[in-house]
Amino acid sequence: MKPVIKTQNLCKWYGNVLGLSDVTLQIEPGITGILGPNGAGKSTFLKLISGQIKPNIGTVSIKEEKIRNNYLLFSIIGFCPEQDSFYGEMTGWQFISSLLRLHHLSPLEIESKAKKTLEIVELIEDKDRVIKSYSRGMRQRLKFAQAIAHEPEIMILDEPLNGLDPLGRRKIIRLIKSYKEEGKTIIVSSHVLPEIEAMTKKIILIHQGKIFAQGDIHYIRDLIETHPHMIYIKCSNPRVLASKFINEDFILNVDFTSEEDSVIVKTKDRDKFFSLLPALFIENNIEVKEITSPDDNLQSVFDYLIGK
Amino acid sequence: MPIREKGYTHWDGEFQPKKFFWWPITRYGIKLTFKKKFFKFVFFMTLVPAVVYLAGIYVSERLDDFSFMIRESAPLLQVNPVFFKSYFTSEFLLFMIVIIMLFCGAGLISDDLKYNSLQLYFSRPITKKDYFIGKSAVIVFFLSILTLIPGLIFIVMKLIFSGSFKFLASYPWLPFSVIGYSAFLTCFFAFYTLFLSSVNKNRRYVSILIFGLYVFSDILFGIFFGIFGKQYFALLSIKVNLQQVGACLFGQKTPYHVPWFYSVLIITGICVLAVSVLKKKIKGVEIIK
Amino acid sequence: MNPDERGKLRYFLNSTRYVFAFFFSLGKRARKTKVLYLVSFLPVLMSMVIKFTQIFYDRQFIEGIYIFSNMIMTFYLQFLILILALFFGTSVCSEELEGKTLTYLTTRPVPKSSIILGKYAAYTSLTILMTVTGVVFSFLILNVNDLLNLSIYKILFRDAAVLCLGIICYTSFFTFIGTFLKKSIMFGLIFCFGWENVIQYFPGSTQRFAIAHYLKSLLPAASPGGRFSFLLFRLEPTTPAVAIAMLLLITTVFITLACIVFSLKEYIFED
Repeated sequence: MKPVIKTQNLCKWYGNVLGLSDVTLQIEPGITGILGPNGAGKSTFLKLISGQIKPNIGTVSIKEEKIRNNYLLFSIIGFCPEQDSFYGEMTGWQFISSLLRLHHLSPLEIESKAKKTLEIVELIEDKDRVIKSYSRGMRQRLKFAQAIAHEPEIMILDEPLNGLDPLGRRKIIRLIKSYKEEGKTIIVSSHVLPEIEAMTKKIILIHQGKIFAQGDIHYIRDLIETHPHMIYIKCSNPRVLASKFINEDFILNVDFTSEEDSVIVKTKDRDKFFSLLPALFIENNIEVKEITSPDDNLQSVFDYLIGK
Repeated sequence: MPIREKGYTHWDGEFQPKKFFWWPITRYGIKLTFKKKFFKFVFFMTLVPAVVYLAGIYVSERLDDFSFMIRESAPLLQVNPVFFKSYFTSEFLLFMIVIIMLFCGAGLISDDLKYNSLQLYFSRPITKKDYFIGKSAVIVFFLSILTLIPGLIFIVMKLIFSGSFKFLASYPWLPFSVIGYSAFLTCFFAFYTLFLSSVNKNRRYVSILIFGLYVFSDILFGIFFGIFGKQYFALLSIKVNLQQVGACLFGQKTPYHVPWFYSVLIITGICVLAVSVLKKKIKGVEIIK
Repeated sequence: MNPDERGKLRYFLNSTRYVFAFFFSLGKRARKTKVLYLVSFLPVLMSMVIKFTQIFYDRQFIEGIYIFSNMIMTFYLQFLILILALFFGTSVCSEELEGKTLTYLTTRPVPKSSIILGKYAAYTSLTILMTVTGVVFSFLILNVNDLLNLSIYKILFRDAAVLCLGIICYTSFFTFIGTFLKKSIMFGLIFCFGWENVIQYFPGSTQRFAIAHYLKSLLPAASPGGRFSFLLFRLEPTTPAVAIAMLLLITTVFITLACIVFSLKEYIFED
C-alpha cells in the first residue's frame, strides 16, 4: 500500500529539550498506534505531522505534499488535540457547525454532518447546552466529534480516549475500527496499552523522543530475541507434561504456579515449542484447558524495549 | 506488640495547630513574581524616587556644601512632614504601584480560577482566610518595600545624618504616620487587586481592569470637575482619595476642600465591596448551570 | 488576474468571512463583551448625570456640544478606545494561545492570514458597535435641547467616524503586538498611556509618531485651559486627507505584519 504520511529525519527541540530525534517513518492507510509513556514525544510527533509546529530538521509530507502552511490539506485531515480546551460559551452544536463552516461547506451540508456527528458521539441531546457545562467525557467526545465531522480521509488523534468511561471507550474504538474498513488512515496516540492493542496491531513505539520499534506487535515481539517467550499452560497434568519437554535445549525455564493445574514455560524458540506440544498432549493423554502467552502483548514488549 | 504488616500506622497523638498556614502561598507568589520578565526592572524604577529622596535627606544636612547646586531650591529640601507627604502621595509612586500590581497581583486569583486550583487549595488544611491572607501577603510584601521601608529608612537616616533626635522630637507622630499610611495604601491595593483578580479567569482582562479602573476614576473626576468646578468630585478619583488621606495623616492641608474622612469612607467602601465579592468567588467548587 | 488567482482570492475572502462570522457570533455572546458594553456606556451615564445636574442644579449653562466635543470625545479618544482596542486587539492571537483553542483553527482548510483578518474584523466590528452606540446616546442626551438643529449631527458623524478610524487603527496595531509578544498587555499599556500621551507634547515631527496625533488632526483643535490642563497639548496638526491616509496606511501595515508573523511563527502552548 502506498504510504500516506512520510517523515524523513524528523527532529524537534524545545530549547535544550529534545522532543523528537531522527524519526523516519512511512504510515500507510489503516490504524497506526503511537505508543509511549508521558513525555516520550507522541504529541510532538502528531503536532509535527499535522503541521502545528515546524521541525528543526527533516521533512513531513502528507500525500506527497508538505504539510506546513498548506491549509488545503486540512480538508482531508481531522485532528483531535490532547488539550481539554474549548470555546466554553458556545454550545456543542454551535461549536461543531461553526468549525464545519470553516471547511467551506454549504449550510445544508453543515447541518446534516453536524447532526450525524453528534449522534455518533451521543451528544445530540446535549447539543444546545454550553460546553462549559459538559462533563469531562462529554468534552472528550465533542473533541473527537470536531475531528471527524467533515469526514476526513486522514485522522490524527492525540489520546482520543482520555476521560471516557469504559463504554465510551469501546464505542470510540469500534468507530475507529470502522473507519479503517473504509480505507481511511488513522493515527492514534496513547500511553494506555490495552487501548492501542484493542484497535490495531500496527504500532510505533516512542520513548525519549526516539522510535524504539515499528511494525506488527507480534513481529516486534519475535524480534526481541534477548528475551524468552513465556507460555502459560493450564492442563490436567502439568508436571507430567513438563517432564516430557524439560530436556529440550530451547526450554529455558519451567515454573509451577500456585494453581495446581498450570505451568509457565520460558522458551527461546516459540515455534519449536508449539510444534512439539500437540504430540505431547496426545501421547500422554493430557487434557488442555488453556494456553496463552502472557508476554505477547504490548506491555511486555514495551517493558522489554525500554529496559524495565 | 502486633507485627505491623503495613507501612502506614494511624497517628494517635494530638494534631498541633500550625501558625502561618498561608506562608507557602505567599512564598510561592513572591517567587513567581520575581521570575517575571521586566518585573525587576520596573520594581527598581519604582524605587528610584526613594533613592532620590534619600539623597535629598543627605543634602539637607549639608546644605552649605551643596549650596552651589541647590541655590533657591534649599527650602524644598526641608525634611519635614511635607517632605514625607510628597513622597508617599506622589503621582509617580501611586502610578507605579498600580503597575507593580499588574505584575504581582493580576494573576493571584485569576490564575487559580483558570486552572481550577481552588479545589487543590481547599482540599488542604487551609481555610478561606488563610488563602486570602496568603495571597494578600504577596502584595503586602512588595508594597511594604515601596512604602513602609523607605519611609522608616528616611526617618532613621535623617536621625543619623543630623546626629540628634531633634527631628523626632519635633515630629514624634511621624513614624506612626508613615506606618499608618503605608498600611492604608497596602490594605487598599491588596483588596482592590484581589477583588479584580477574582472577577475573571483571564489575566489580561484583569490587568486591563486594574489599570483601567484606576485611570478611569481620575479621568471621571477631571471631566466632572472641569464641567461643574465642584471639589467634591475629587471623591470619584481613587488617586485623589489616597492623596487626601495621605495629606491628613501627615498633618498637611488636603489637596481639595473635601473632608478627608469622606475619602476614608470611599476607600473603605471599596474594600468592603472587595471582601464581599471575594467571599462569593473563592470557593472550592464552581457550579455551572 | 487569471482565473486561478481569482479563485484563490475568492477562497481567501470566503475563509475570512467564515472566520469573521465565527468570532463575531462568539464575541457577541461572550460575558466579557457584555461587561465591556457596560464600560463603553459609562460616558452615557456621565452624560445623563451632567445633563440632569445642569437641568436641575446648574446656573451656568454649558452647551451640550461643547461638553460632548471637549470632554466626552476626549474620554473616548484618550481612554476608552485605547482600552477596548488593547483588549480586543491583543485577544486576536493571545486568547487562542491562552485558551489553547488555536489548534481548532489552524487545522481547518483556511489560510492563517484569514484567521487573523477574520478575527480582527470581528473584534473591530464589535468594538465599533460598542463605541458608536455609546457616542450616539451620549450625544443625544447632551444635546437633548437641540435635537432639531440638524447642523449638530455633522459633528456627531465626524466624531463617530474619527473614533471608528481610531479603533480600526489601534486594534490593528495591537493585533500585531499580540501575535509576537507574550506580554502584550504591558507593552500596550505603556504605549497607550505612556508613548501616545507623552509624544504629543513634543514639538515638530515627533508628534507624527503617535496614532493619536492623526486622530486629533481630524478634530477641531481643542484648546481648553485652566481646569482642563490635563487635556492641553501642542498639536501641530496634519491635514485631514494626509491624516486619514496615514491611519489607513498604519492599519494596513500592521494587519499585514500580523498576518505574516502569525503565518510564520510557531506557537507552542504552555503546559
